[in-house]
Amino acid sequence: MDDLFKQTETVNGLLARYGVKFGIYKDGVFKEQLFPFDPIPRVITKKEFEYLERGLAQRVDALNHFLADVYGEKRIIKDGVIPEEFVFSSSGYLRECEGIVPPKGIHSHISGIDLVQAKDGTWYVLEDNLRVPSGASYPLIARDLTRKSSPDTFRHNHVEDNRDYADLLKQTMDNVNTGGINVVLTPGRYNAAYFEHSYLAEKTGSVLVTGQNLTVEDNVVYYIDYKGNKLKVGVVYRRISDEYMDPLEFVEESLIGVPHIMAAYRAGNVALINAPGNGIADDKGIYYFVPKMIRYYLNEEPILNNAPTYLPFYEEDRKFVLENFDRLVIKDVAEAGGYGVVFGSKLSPEQKGSLIELIKNEPRRFIAQEVIDFKDLDILEKEGRVFRKADLRAFVLTGSKTMVWKSGLTRFSRNPDSFIVNSSQGGGFKDTWVLSR
Amino acid sequence: MSHITTERANELFWLGRYAERVYTTVNEFSSGFDRMIDESSDSHQEYCRRVNIPDVYADKDDFLSRYPFDDSIPDSIISNLIRAYDNAVVLRDDIGSDTLAYVQMAVYDMRKAAIGKAPLVGLLKVIDDLYAFWGCLDDSMASQSERSIVKTGRRVERVDLYLRFGIPEDRIQHELNRLETRIRLTGLKYDVSAIGKIREMVSAGDRRGAVILIESFIDV
Repeated sequence: MDDLFKQTETVNGLLARYGVKFGIYKDGVFKEQLFPFDPIPRVITKKEFEYLERGLAQRVDALNHFLADVYGEKRIIKDGVIPEEFVFSSSGYLRECEGIVPPKGIHSHISGIDLVQAKDGTWYVLEDNLRVPSGASYPLIARDLTRKSSPDTFRHNHVEDNRDYADLLKQTMDNVNTGGINVVLTPGRYNAAYFEHSYLAEKTGSVLVTGQNLTVEDNVVYYIDYKGNKLKVGVVYRRISDEYMDPLEFVEESLIGVPHIMAAYRAGNVALINAPGNGIADDKGIYYFVPKMIRYYLNEEPILNNAPTYLPFYEEDRKFVLENFDRLVIKDVAEAGGYGVVFGSKLSPEQKGSLIELIKNEPRRFIAQEVIDFKDLDILEKEGRVFRKADLRAFVLTGSKTMVWKSGLTRFSRNPDSFIVNSSQGGGFKDTWVLSR
Repeated sequence: MSHITTERANELFWLGRYAERVYTTVNEFSSGFDRMIDESSDSHQEYCRRVNIPDVYADKDDFLSRYPFDDSIPDSIISNLIRAYDNAVVLRDDIGSDTLAYVQMAVYDMRKAAIGKAPLVGLLKVIDDLYAFWGCLDDSMASQSERSIVKTGRRVERVDLYLRFGIPEDRIQHELNRLETRIRLTGLKYDVSAIGKIREMVSAGDRRGAVILIESFIDV
């Protein structure tokens, strides 16, 4: 693998050549920056991946059952597994999705499950991202470029080829296509993940569109070309948030959505990937209940662990959280992207007092978790190899069957004192190798 | 994908125009730079007048250092290259990552040329990138109509600049032939009689009128 390390500059040069960037707003100004790449891959053995694959597929299957249930019969609530008020008080729950059965009954087609590995080797799921999980394109293109830069590395290491992601994604789209073209709906060039939107559109042979390029007539979504031809759209892989999807049903001021698209979706004339309303399942509070969902819907024991989590919503848990505040990490369920995450031990007495008051007043808004001492990964810095915190976003695609991509996005913190790995906060990424033997 | 929106057609057309603008102005600038090495007068003024851009330069040396490389000047070569990139980056799924990469590399090479001691040598790399861009586009863009829109943008820009730079009539007529063949393949709406009129204007020496018509005869 030494050869690959020697090619770091070459790989980063190629990433720059192909415009592998993410956008960021700083002081109100949009800037594109390269996503720092570290050549030392995260290596997952074949056996370890088989375990993760079973656990991830199980988890996503249960979450899909939950979404179908919560917008349908609500058996899990009626049976008292999840408290009713807990579901309906979530900002991710969308009343507008009540009773909608999406094409083939699939709600989460692309799930991004964030995991960390503790020092003892145990994997923990930290978050389920079922709305618009991003990041697959980075290890996808990085693998292509590292193979070009250091073919010997791949000759001597038996690594599963991850370049099938676009094929898996296309299969996932085709599976629910209601008849028509596949499109990737982007908010536009000034979105943080625009590179990914355009790259995945290219690789899946989909049409990259903005909301202005689509129109709905008689509950059918059309794309209109420059010659005036109307083409029916069968599936929209949308990379915009639920609330901006349709100004007639959600945020009225949205200029990036498509008026009436929800009506077309409700009528079964178009598939939306992922389905609107999935936010209820990746709510940080609902996360607590995922192991219970697995038992309830699949009648199986969960294969993967949740990080030990407490819900201040429950009095008993709230008491525990307040008594053990300094050793817990507190997360605001309304925030994402590494924001709203605080370590009890790092707060000043004033900050701690304010947060405790907030937790008492708005207990549903927070969860608390044990701090997992997760395994550091080595990265190459100018001074040589250093160790940093890292997580793994695994991608699970649900088409005619549930498939776990044999790779993933490993994100790491560049700050030695930080657990926050998000690109928006200066983190970098690594490729994730799954060994084939 | 052979179906694109009006917005996409516009981006393809302007990608062609800006890429060609950079190509032709770099070449023109390089010849001019060579001439100006031996000249004492401020001959850049004539260049600005011909291309119809504001002369914001203090003198010849200021022009030579800032016209290609200063992205705070809207009419500089690099500003036009950035506009080509702005159009290309939203077309990745149409033109392909490999084609887009050559525009990206042209931007990097232009920045490198700006800090090098021999800017003309640095600009040669930009020209190489543009040749590669056109070759890659030709090779990898499957839809003939979309490819033809980019190339029509290129031909329109070339005729426009040739008219402005005082290029001999036979070369302009040759470019008009290429434009006429290409534009038929685009599916764009345009004034079919315009190219003939431009030919007549060029023959009659009315280059100003020809510039106005070449810039307005396509509805994109």
